[in-house]
Amino acid sequence: MKDIITIIIRLTVSCMLAATVIGVTFIFTSNAKKHNEHAKEQQVMLELLGYKGDVAVPDSISMHEIYRYIISGQDSQSIGYLVPTGHGENNGFFFVNIDLNGKLIGSKRVDISEENSRDAEIRDIAMAEAAGSGFVVDFADQTIVVTDSGSRIAYLLGGKFQGFKTFINVMLAVDPEFEMVGLEILEHEEDPGLGAEIEQDYFKNQFKGKPFEVLKTIDVVKKPIPAEYLDALNSRVSEEDILKLRSQYRDQDIYALTGATISSKAVSNGVKNIVKKFAYRVTILDNVLKEQQLAVSF
Amino acid sequence: MANDKSSMQLVVNGILSENPIFRLALSMCPAVGISTTVMNGVMLGIAVLFVQVFSSVTISIFKNLIHPRIRIPTYTLTIATWVTVIDLVLAALLPDAYAKMGIFVKLIVAFAIITMRLEMFACKESVKDSFWDGLGMGLGFMVGMVVIGFVRELLGSGAVLGYDVLGFKPLLFFILPCAGFFVVGLMMAFFNWIELYYKRSKG
Repeated sequence: MKDIITIIIRLTVSCMLAATVIGVTFIFTSNAKKHNEHAKEQQVMLELLGYKGDVAVPDSISMHEIYRYIISGQDSQSIGYLVPTGHGENNGFFFVNIDLNGKLIGSKRVDISEENSRDAEIRDIAMAEAAGSGFVVDFADQTIVVTDSGSRIAYLLGGKFQGFKTFINVMLAVDPEFEMVGLEILEHEEDPGLGAEIEQDYFKNQFKGKPFEVLKTIDVVKKPIPAEYLDALNSRVSEEDILKLRSQYRDQDIYALTGATISSKAVSNGVKNIVKKFAYRVTILDNVLKEQQLAVSF
Repeated sequence: MANDKSSMQLVVNGILSENPIFRLALSMCPAVGISTTVMNGVMLGIAVLFVQVFSSVTISIFKNLIHPRIRIPTYTLTIATWVTVIDLVLAALLPDAYAKMGIFVKLIVAFAIITMRLEMFACKESVKDSFWDGLGMGLGFMVGMVVIGFVRELLGSGAVLGYDVLGFKPLLFFILPCAGFFVVGLMMAFFNWIELYYKRSKG
């Protein structure tokens, strides 16, 4: 009995010591970690829009975050959007509740700052308040509308879908006509040398410049990439030639990676679904915003 | 139970005569699963090195306070603590490298080599000796991972450290996990052969 008590005490003390060490490290590193994640996300976004390396971002460009929530009540479901009303001093958000048929249920102002809106916890609470009691809110996704002196130039969409092994996390940029501007693979666990090639330029760049009509039905073909197109995808030829070859192959399906057809298919299907669903949703949201004359920032 | 080896001997011992992967055949799971490139090997090697050294020293300091019946839980707890610390520090300081190997770092908790070294060495020997032994074992693991990674990366993707050296991919097979077993097996045979050869030439 004495033995067991000493064991209990010693184990408890060791656990507490371990917890203290971990806790202290966490306090020292959590800010840096959050900062890194945010910085990386920002960088990926800017790179997708073409501001790479020395190209600086002009001041006229601004980004507006839209958050989409699924609101479920007792027997009804609707989509709640959190749309920004402006930047800087007059910031704030509108809560727009739209039913599944695209009809407005209600809208109201939500007073949270831009800074706070990035914090998922604060945002969730504000959304739950706006939706009213008896409704459950679940965060669905986040879209960023990019404007250049007031007019929209692109949408940045995040998404996650099943790959060959686990989920593939992507971010993609489409222009206002839903033509593909760029694709970036953020996270994946495909096999190195096979499925992991999805993060290579020659695969990702195949999506660039594909119009919405092509994206809607995009699929993969099991054929080798023609040599000239491969050079263009790897940016080994001049800018002009790249554009020429891109438009030449714009109606072409995606060339599957050797030995990784499933991963290639997962990405092309995932991108197809993200763009298709987004195009549908944003049209509904735009209609509602226009009808209600809600002054949003984009 | 004093140790009669010098600190230098302890380090060399971990790298050569008691190399965790090739001689002790411990921690084969990461050796097979992760060693597809040299860089993966280096990164995981560094992480294991830190965890091994810190855990060995910690256990060695507290060796008289650990109740013999709960040795193993205490070891696991110590390793888990240091792994979490390394994990957090890496995520904060080296975000790019962490993005690639984050998931493997957490797996270090289950590496047999670390627990085994704590049980066989650190819980009996002095803090200083434990430090050198941990360093040797960590380096030995790193060397093993790098060697396997080099062979697999060169033969599988025709590259070294991400740079294309061959210009073509000789055998895609070497990238797959099963090829890890072949490479480890061949390396073990090679190490054993060297030992035999060395012994024979000596006497």
